[in-house]
Amino acid sequence: MARYWTASENPSARKRSLRRLLPALAAGAAALLLAGCAADAFDAPSTAEPIEGGTLVYATGDAEPTCLDPHVGGNYPQALISTQYLEPLVGRSPDGEILPWLATEWQASEDGLTWDLTLRDDVTFTDGTPFDAEAVKANIEHLQDPNTGSSTGWLAVQQIDSVEVVDATHVRFHLSTPKSALMEVLSQQWAAMQSPAGMERGKDENCLAPVGTGPFIVESWTPQDRVVLIRNDDYVPTNPQGHDGPAYVERIEWRFIPDAATRQAALASGEVHVIDNPLPADIAAWEAQDKQHIDAPRPAASNRIELNSAQTPFDDVRVREAFIRAADPNPGIASLFHGTAERSYSVLSSVEPMRLSDESVFATDAERAAELLDEAGWTDTDGDGVREKDGATLTVRFPVSTNQSTAAEQSLFEQIQANTGAVGFDVQLEPMDLSSWYGALAAHEYEAVSAPYTTVGPDVLRILYHSDGTIPAPSGYFANNAQLKDPALDALLESALATTDEAERADIYTQAQRIILDSYTVLPLYDQQNHFLTQGVEGVEPLTTISTPLLLNARLLG
Amino acid sequence: MGGTEAPRAIPAWRTALRWVAARVGGALLVVWLVATIVFFALRSSGDPLEAILGGPGSQAGPEAVEAARREYGLDQPLIVQYLLQLWRVGTLQLGDSYARRQPVADLIADQLPGTLLLAVLALALAWALAVAGAVVSTSARGRVGAVVNAVLRGVEVIATVMPGFWLGAVLILVFASTLGLLPATSQGSHPAGLVLPVVTLAVPIAGFLAQVSRDALLEADAAPFAVTARARGASEPAVLLRHTLRHAALPALALSGWAFGNLLSGAVVVEVLFARPGLGRLLQDAALARDVPLVIGAVTSVALMYVAVVVLTDIVELFVDPRLRGPRPAVLRAPDVAVGS
Repeated sequence: MARYWTASENPSARKRSLRRLLPALAAGAAALLLAGCAADAFDAPSTAEPIEGGTLVYATGDAEPTCLDPHVGGNYPQALISTQYLEPLVGRSPDGEILPWLATEWQASEDGLTWDLTLRDDVTFTDGTPFDAEAVKANIEHLQDPNTGSSTGWLAVQQIDSVEVVDATHVRFHLSTPKSALMEVLSQQWAAMQSPAGMERGKDENCLAPVGTGPFIVESWTPQDRVVLIRNDDYVPTNPQGHDGPAYVERIEWRFIPDAATRQAALASGEVHVIDNPLPADIAAWEAQDKQHIDAPRPAASNRIELNSAQTPFDDVRVREAFIRAADPNPGIASLFHGTAERSYSVLSSVEPMRLSDESVFATDAERAAELLDEAGWTDTDGDGVREKDGATLTVRFPVSTNQSTAAEQSLFEQIQANTGAVGFDVQLEPMDLSSWYGALAAHEYEAVSAPYTTVGPDVLRILYHSDGTIPAPSGYFANNAQLKDPALDALLESALATTDEAERADIYTQAQRIILDSYTVLPLYDQQNHFLTQGVEGVEPLTTISTPLLLNARLLG
Repeated sequence: MGGTEAPRAIPAWRTALRWVAARVGGALLVVWLVATIVFFALRSSGDPLEAILGGPGSQAGPEAVEAARREYGLDQPLIVQYLLQLWRVGTLQLGDSYARRQPVADLIADQLPGTLLLAVLALALAWALAVAGAVVSTSARGRVGAVVNAVLRGVEVIATVMPGFWLGAVLILVFASTLGLLPATSQGSHPAGLVLPVVTLAVPIAGFLAQVSRDALLEADAAPFAVTARARGASEPAVLLRHTLRHAALPALALSGWAFGNLLSGAVVVEVLFARPGLGRLLQDAALARDVPLVIGAVTSVALMYVAVVVLTDIVELFVDPRLRGPRPAVLRAPDVAVGS
C-alpha cells in the first residue's frame, strides 16, 4: 500500500480528526480523502531497527534530468541519480587519493602520454554484457562522439587520442597532451561506464534507461514524477567505500519535488526518506530535532564572486581590492545560512587537499577600500553616494542566476551590495533565469558574477583561470569569468597538468593559487552547498568524488 | 418562452455558420499570435542550442555543436526557422522537443490529462462552494441574514485575493507537516494527493464566482417571478431550484470560461508546489530551457483549450438562459478572443 503520511500517534485519533475535517471540504474532494484514509501509515522511525528490503524514497530539488545518461550533456542532476546505477573507473578517498573501482591499477608513462589500466575481471553490466577493455573503449568513444552531445564528460576525455584494447582486462589510453588529472576526472559520474550494448540502442532509448554495473537498475521513468530503480541482485561490490553483496533496499523511488518547503514537508511527514537542497533554516531546525543532516560540500571550486578584470572599473587592481575589502560577507553568511555554511578564504573547496587558504587577503577594511578608490581616481563629485571618474559611474553589473543561487545566497549578495555601496560602488543585482544569465556572461555584460563549477581535483583552476578559459566554447560558454590572462599563471597550470609527482603538483598549485588570490579577482564565500536531510533511513553516504549520495549502504528503519 | 418571433431575414443555419466561422477564425488567430510571440520571445532571449546540448553553459565540443545545429535546422536563417515552425503548428506536427528529444505531441498528451483533471475538479469544487455560499446567504433572512451576508462577503473577498502559492504552502503546513493527514505531494495515482492542489486552485475562483452568483441570487430572490412563484404556493426549495438558482448561475457561468483559463495558468504554481506532473510544469521547464517547439506546442494547446471552453460556456448559456435563444442570437455578442492565458 502507498505510505503517504505519518500518522499522529494513534490511528483512531487520526480518523477522528479526519471526520472533523470533512465538512470543511467539498463533497467531491471528500470522496477522494476517504479513499486516501485507507492507506496505511508507518511508525515513527526514531526507535526503529534497520531492515532488509523495502522502498527508499529520495526527493530531489535539483532539476529533472532530460536524459538519465550522464554522458549526454552532463550536469549535476544527472550525476545525482546515475550514482545509483553507473560506476566510474576509479574512486577517490577523502584526502584526494585515487582509489580502485572498476579499474584496479593504473600507470602513466614517463612522458605522461600513455596510461595503462588494469580492469576487474568479475564485473558484468546489468544487461549481461561483460565489463572489459572493449567496454571501456566503447565508453570513451561514446563520450567523444559528437552525436552524444557530451560536455562535462567530453572535457574529461578530451585529451585521449585513442583507446587501445590490450586484452580483456588491460586497456591503454594514448593522450595528445599529458594530463596528470586524468584519473581524477575519470572518477566523475559524467565519465562513468555503461554497457556497450545499452549505448548501441541509440541515444533516445539509452537516455530513458542507461545500463551500468551499479547496485541499482533503472526500471521506469515517469517525467515530472519519479524514476523507479530496482535492486541489482547480482551486484559485485566493487565500491571503494566498502560494501558486501547487493544493496539493502529493494527499490528506490527517485522523486522530483521542485519546491523546497514541500520537499521538507514530505520528509517531515514521512512521505520521503531523503531530500537534497534543503533550505538553511530547515537544516538548522532539523538538526535542532537531533535528526540526520549530511553536509557534503562539493569538490573543486568553492562558491565565490569573481570580478571581471577585462573591463572598467575592475581592470584596475585597486578597485578590485577596494570591492573585496568593502564586501564584508561574514555577518551575512552567519545569519542567512543559520550556521550551515562556513566562510571560505580559498578558491578551492575545503575537500580539496591542495587548497590554499589565506584569510588576510580578504580582511574587511572599509577605510582602506575608500583610500584605494580615491587613489584610483574614483571620487563622489556630485554627492549622490556613487563614485565617478571621467564621466563614468562606479557601476558593477552583477547578473544573478535565480536557478543557481539560493534565496539565502541572493540575500547575501544584497548585503554585499549594501556594504560596497557604502564606499561608493553602485552594484546592480540583476536576477535572471539561467539562459539569460549565460547570455549576459557571454556578452560580457557583467562586472561581478557568482558561477558554480563542479568537477574533481585542483585542475579546476586551469578550467577557471587559464587564459584559454576566456575564449568562448562553440556554445558561447567560457569558464574564466574573472578574465584572468596571466602567462605566468598559464604556465604553472600547464606544468601541473604535465607532472605526475604529487608533491611537485601540490607545490605548483600553491603557487598558482597565490597568484589568483593576490589578483583580487576572486572573493571566496563558502563551499558549494550540498546538504541532505534523512529520516527513517541510515547509511546514506556521499561519494567522495563529487559528493553525490550513494544509496548502496542505505537501510530503511522498520 | 418569449412570444416574439425571430426575424426571417437571416436563416438560422447561416447565423450558425457565421458563429462557427467567427470562432474558428478567432482560434486560428490566437494560435498564430501565440506561436509567433513565443517563437520570437524565446529566440530573442537565448540560444536554443543550449537546450539541445544539455542546458545552458554547455561545454560540448565544436563537432557536437555543429551536429546539433544541422540536426535541428538552426543553421537556417531565422525567418526560415519561423516559417518552418508555423508550418509544423499548422499541420499539427509539433516536432521534437529540443531538450527531451521526444515528440512534443507525446509529451503534451502525457501531461494534459493530469492538468485537465486538476482544472475540472477545481472548477467543480469552486462551483459547489459558490452555489453553497449563495444558497446560504439567501436562506438566512432578516438580521441574521444581514450578518451572514456580511461575513460571507468578507470571506469571498479574502478567498479571491488569496495568492495560490501562499494558500498551498499553508495547506501543506497544516495538513501534511502538522496533522499528517494528507500527502504534501500530489504524485502517483493516489487520489488523496489531489485534495490539497484542488482546494488551492478552487478557493480563489470560488470566492470570485460566489461574489457574482450571490448578488444575482439575492436579486432573483426579490424579483417578481420569484414572488409570483411563492404566491402560487411554491415551497422555498422549489423556488430555489426552479427559478432563482438558474438565474443566479448565469453570470457565474459566463465567467467560467475565464475561470478555466485562470485555472490552467494557476496550474503552473500548483504543479510546482505539489510536485505534480502536468502541463504547467512542462511549460515552465521548457520555457527555462528555451525549448522552442515544446513551449509553442504547450502554449498553443492551452490557448486552444481556452477557446474551446469559452465556446462551450456560450453553448451551455444558451441552454440555461432561454432569452439568449430569442431574436438576438449569441453570435452577435462580442467574440471572446484571448491571447495566452
